[in-house]
Amino acid sequence: MLLDFRKKIIESPYSVLLSVGGLLLLGLSTLFSITATQGQPPPNALSKQLIFLVPALILMFIMLMASRRVIHKYIFMVYGIIVIAVTLPFFGEKIAGTYRWINLGLPFGLQPSEIAKWVIVIALARYLSDHNLKMKNFGSNIIPFIIALIPTVIVLSQPDLGTAFVMMIPVFTMLFWVGARPIHLFLIMAPLFSILTAFNVIVFSIWAAIMAGVIFLARLRLWHAVGLYFGNIFLGLIFPLLWNSLRPYQQNRILTLVNPELDPLGAGYQIIQSKTALGSGGFLGKGWGQGTQTHLKFLPVQESDFIVSVIGEEFGFLTLIIMLVLFSWLIIKIIRLALNSTDRFSSLVLVGISTIFLSHVFVNCAMTAGMIPVKGLPLPFVSYGGSFLLSCFMMIGLVLNFGREKLD
Amino acid sequence: MLKSPNSVSKSTYWVLISIVVLMHVVLAYRFFKLQIIDFNLYSQRAESNRIRAMSIPAPRGLILDRYGEIIVDNYPTYILYGIGAEIIDKQHNYDVISQSTGIDIGILEKNYKNYYRNRFIPTRLAKDLTINQLSRLEEEKNELSGIIYKQYPERIYNQKINASHILGYVKEIDKLPMEKSTNKDGYEYGDLIGWSGIEKKYESILRGEKGVAYYQVDAFGREAGQIGGEENILPNPGNDITTTLDVSLQQLLENELSGRCGVAIVSRPKTGGILAYVSAPDYTPDLFTGIISNAVWQSVIADTNRPLLDRVANGTYPPGSIFKMVVAIALLEKKIITPQIEIFCTGSYDFYDRTFGCWSENGHGKVNLEKAIVQSCDVYFYQAIQKIKLDELAVVAKQFGFGLETNIDIPSEMKGRMPTRQFMNKLHGRWGWAQGALLNMAIGQGEILVTPLQMARYINILATKGKTRTLHIVEKNSNVIPEIFINDRSWKLMQDYMGKVVTAPKGTGRRSNPKIPGLKIWGKTGTAENPHGEPHAWYIAYGEKDGEMISLVIMVENGGHGGEVATPIARNVFKHYFGSNNSKLAKN
Repeated sequence: MLLDFRKKIIESPYSVLLSVGGLLLLGLSTLFSITATQGQPPPNALSKQLIFLVPALILMFIMLMASRRVIHKYIFMVYGIIVIAVTLPFFGEKIAGTYRWINLGLPFGLQPSEIAKWVIVIALARYLSDHNLKMKNFGSNIIPFIIALIPTVIVLSQPDLGTAFVMMIPVFTMLFWVGARPIHLFLIMAPLFSILTAFNVIVFSIWAAIMAGVIFLARLRLWHAVGLYFGNIFLGLIFPLLWNSLRPYQQNRILTLVNPELDPLGAGYQIIQSKTALGSGGFLGKGWGQGTQTHLKFLPVQESDFIVSVIGEEFGFLTLIIMLVLFSWLIIKIIRLALNSTDRFSSLVLVGISTIFLSHVFVNCAMTAGMIPVKGLPLPFVSYGGSFLLSCFMMIGLVLNFGREKLD
Repeated sequence: MLKSPNSVSKSTYWVLISIVVLMHVVLAYRFFKLQIIDFNLYSQRAESNRIRAMSIPAPRGLILDRYGEIIVDNYPTYILYGIGAEIIDKQHNYDVISQSTGIDIGILEKNYKNYYRNRFIPTRLAKDLTINQLSRLEEEKNELSGIIYKQYPERIYNQKINASHILGYVKEIDKLPMEKSTNKDGYEYGDLIGWSGIEKKYESILRGEKGVAYYQVDAFGREAGQIGGEENILPNPGNDITTTLDVSLQQLLENELSGRCGVAIVSRPKTGGILAYVSAPDYTPDLFTGIISNAVWQSVIADTNRPLLDRVANGTYPPGSIFKMVVAIALLEKKIITPQIEIFCTGSYDFYDRTFGCWSENGHGKVNLEKAIVQSCDVYFYQAIQKIKLDELAVVAKQFGFGLETNIDIPSEMKGRMPTRQFMNKLHGRWGWAQGALLNMAIGQGEILVTPLQMARYINILATKGKTRTLHIVEKNSNVIPEIFINDRSWKLMQDYMGKVVTAPKGTGRRSNPKIPGLKIWGKTGTAENPHGEPHAWYIAYGEKDGEMISLVIMVENGGHGGEVATPIARNVFKHYFGSNNSKLAKN
């Protein structure tokens, strides 16, 4: 038994921890700059983050030691529990306009949707590895999507668009990993794009052209192709009519669901400030504690969602590049482990987790740099935030566990 | 099942890797565009085109008297700030400010040191700038760097009255109140918060909501104009508060008591509303707004008469003879005396080896209950009290509010003291006190202590036969006090006797009668012995004319006889309120 533990510890692929450590250091020194310069006495973001590191590392170790067989056996049950857990916040108090947190009487709230992200991944991995699916068939994609969609819809109505997004993305990479046809994945997404583009004639025309091209290249049967194409066009035409028949307050309710950060007072303000902070940092940055944009409090949520602008302003472009290298190295390393894995279950878990990290990094950085609208997604290991830190380290524990070559 | 083999093709792997690399390259390019290519644009924007959000303070609600006259108002002053990170030559800036406004450089330096928190947050340099000083400073704008100003609504008070103990004061929030305050929502350093009196009690009503204004500022922190007005949030002023006070009556009583230590409370027994609330000596409420110099402040603190003490609610005194109605009611209710029983007063009373004196050294001769109250004979009560137990007396006294808070709407009040047997045992030991202590209490001396505010409730209870309401300063429908179970005959007797205190030729309260046709007055004087010198002069009374009734409590510390010192003040109050000159009352 003890020998078994020792083997488990020794054989884990530890090189992923190097980049995790580097990112963690970067995050902590940035939090230190924010709290120290603004004269916030503890408990502040830095001290809370340091305290959360302790349970985070313990949980990472537990995930590292857990038996893969046990995880495989019970994951559907855990999945069921987590679906219930993400509905629990609706029975509690509304915090900051959303139902994301469960209050257990602890000094901090717990966010079950953070855990749900990777529970969905493991559940999907089991489904896709247990059944010998013919992935060339379109129908094989349906059940995996439903598995991810159930908790996602609940989280979306909390409302938490960012997390819902991160829950759905791994489905695509994991299906792709087991051989689903990209055209099928495209077709699944198509109705959503048809709705979103329907409000602008030019954008909708471009979308219709792309869709026609893709369907043509996919060489589907004629009736399927025609049905799919005109089905989508019809959806795009009918949707604005449906939308306009809603009363304004109903429209508003749906809009805030889609984008809770839609803030009438500060529309665009956050992005302008974030870009100004980033841009004025230059190659080497203004120096530790010297970020005027940061410390004049121009930047909202600077210690969590907008921490990249603080890093960019104070430590400069060079540090951001190092950060991106660390992230890409971590993600590619996980995908490599997935490739070399001997069993399909482990391989799929690793791919799913790498996708979660990738979507967090991309959405967060792109938002900070003003490429996409504001979505509240934090940056793994760098942003301040308890539940998220715990979840990230649990995922790293899973990577270390599932990355071992031998199945226990 | 777990063992299903991993059969991923190399091409799938490379597609995924390419996507990861591509996304990171896109991000890297975006950072490169912002930080390297457009560096000049953004650093210029950061330096020369900053947006600064400044909170706009909300004016606090006004405090009005019952007729709508303003007691506490706001006036605009300006506060000057310096931003450490943006001041280029501190000394030069100070010189310019000092020359154009006349503010001493030393004050600027001292303030900067005191209020400095970090180099990015505006630090206060001077407050209470006038618009003239500011416009002169504005002319020198180009000489300054990192200097900004902000309008601030400061409290200003009605010049006719002080009323400082009721109004209370506001305080600028610094670290201490921030930690103490239970409701920290939306307060920031430098905000005003009600710290005592009405300002504290009704903070949530008076406070209002702050607004926000966005300014563009240049590299030196000088305002470069406001940003499109739509994003600004206007402050929401606090709500006004209408009090039950009567400014003219308050003014009259503050004048009457000036130069003395004492208390005056005027209220309406039927509603519990307070018309005047004077604790003398007082101080001007401006004391805490910072306009007054340190020397004045020091003299207030050092004053042995303690002007900061609110004697009305927090001063405790022996009640003296005004307590006798409680004793009389207790004795009547227990059927220990009848109004007809007579005793003989020689001017003193021997009790074992002690002699208890009556205030009239020559004695009152034959005395029944009526005469004992009208002429305030002590010997009558010395004799009668011996037949009742202390606890029985305490039960009746508690019904009249002795030893209990009045629950008035100001933040702090004392409870006074109504002794019980248990209390006396604790204080003196089981055998350490005797019946003699009860004799003292019979005339409101000894261990009994009351606040003048409790006496206001007491007289209101007597005036309404127990149907009065909780005392209050802010207009509202206050609660009825707990029901008092006393025989109607006892109420009537007390009112009858108190009437004669004023009308009888030898009544101790006769000086309080302004002799206005239709005005009837009931009262009781008190002369409370105390260890600090001359006795405290008490007078509690109520008067009614055409259905309008007011009650009053006058107490002059070490003033001498209540019938001589306190009653003339009461006469002036009745004369002012019910006299033909009071046009406001007619409107009421």
